[in-house]
Amino acid sequence: MNNIALKDLLYKIADDQLIIGHRNSEWTGIGPILEEDIAFSSMAQDKIGHSYAFFNVLHELGESDPDTTAFLRNAEQFHNCQFVELPIGEYDFSLVRHFLFDHSEMIRFEMLTNSSFEPISLIARKLKGEVKYHIMHANVWIKKLGTATNESIERLQKSLDEAIPFALGIFEESKYEEELANEKIFPGEIALKERWIEQISDVLKQTELQLPDLSLTEARTGGRYGRHTEYLQPLLDEMSEVIKSDPTAEW
Amino acid sequence: MESLDPRIARLEISDDAILQPKEALDQLVTYEVFVQKKDKAAFEHVGIVHASDVEMAFIFAKETFSRRFTCFGMCVVETGKIRITGYTDNDNNIYDQVAKVEHGDGPEEIYEIFHLKKRGKQHVHIGSVEAESYDNALYKAKVLYDDEKPKFNVWVIKNSDILFSDEDDKAIWDTLSDKKYRDATAYRAMDKIKKFKEEQLNQ
Repeated sequence: MNNIALKDLLYKIADDQLIIGHRNSEWTGIGPILEEDIAFSSMAQDKIGHSYAFFNVLHELGESDPDTTAFLRNAEQFHNCQFVELPIGEYDFSLVRHFLFDHSEMIRFEMLTNSSFEPISLIARKLKGEVKYHIMHANVWIKKLGTATNESIERLQKSLDEAIPFALGIFEESKYEEELANEKIFPGEIALKERWIEQISDVLKQTELQLPDLSLTEARTGGRYGRHTEYLQPLLDEMSEVIKSDPTAEW
Repeated sequence: MESLDPRIARLEISDDAILQPKEALDQLVTYEVFVQKKDKAAFEHVGIVHASDVEMAFIFAKETFSRRFTCFGMCVVETGKIRITGYTDNDNNIYDQVAKVEHGDGPEEIYEIFHLKKRGKQHVHIGSVEAESYDNALYKAKVLYDDEKPKFNVWVIKNSDILFSDEDDKAIWDTLSDKKYRDATAYRAMDKIKKFKEEQLNQ
């Protein structure tokens, strides 16, 4: 088993989940209506739970404990795609990101249920139900607002256009795609991206929204190699404010 | 585009005193939520959510009512689509007030019947009937489901108005058992607080 390749895969999954979970939790208390506030916050909490599961596997592979890994690294040590670190913007942007990211997550988890590395396949199987709900939630909103009024369609379209280059950055290939595929740990980002395009297109077809021409879109990459936007470090500072006030405290 | 964000679009400030009509509230309608607490158990009423339509109501109901407790199935229906009888108490059975409603020539459809068997408890699904109208359904329910015990209130709902969770989506209820950290009770802080206070006193 190739440990470096494996860790690289685990870090990017865990970091994506941690950062999107933190971002989405920023809606807690200010969601559009109470029920949506509850649902969106709950899903954000699910994401943090998912990251915890993957950080635990990393810990078993010799990395630091989950708290240290999650809270005490700098931006350049994070492997999340830049998409998840972008500010929440207005609700249209957060919904579009939730839709685009969670579809990729669902497919990734489906692929990982067959991973030859058992700890990953176990987690993926366990968490798939939660992600399934996240997708239901995203699809309902996108279909609803994507067919509702001129304003809602215009808002979603604008956010979709802004989000797509970053969303393509989810599928930035690692140095280890071949090893991971050969060892049947993970089939790879390209296979994932193809299924993702199919899946989001199926939903978008049922709306007035237009998926931008992906062949003309340059992906915003770099996140998987520690190159991030200006938005990540402030998020990390905020997230780790409490633990840094007393790193030795027992919680 | 005007912002929808309450942090940006603050309450409009205007200091003139001209009387104007109060704007209507765009409150969403309510949907009633029912859950199955055990596999194949009867659906029980758990509460309401606000939503723009029944699909959205289901999405909201799932996180509002099934996150903390095990759940095996859920259904939602718009509040206004439920027909309810009056309430009784003590030993009075509401079915005693239900008169026979003859079956006409109209097409039949399925109605779901919910009973309130204890005041202060939830309405529980008791069964379904094929009927031609709400009143006809209520009468058929009386014939089929009225045992000796008093029923204090009955709800009659068209099956076609209810959105049930899909068997294929069962996985969404799967993942709750080892998530104690979501409950405040899992975080036991009192011991630590006591210890901290003692340390402070001893200093």
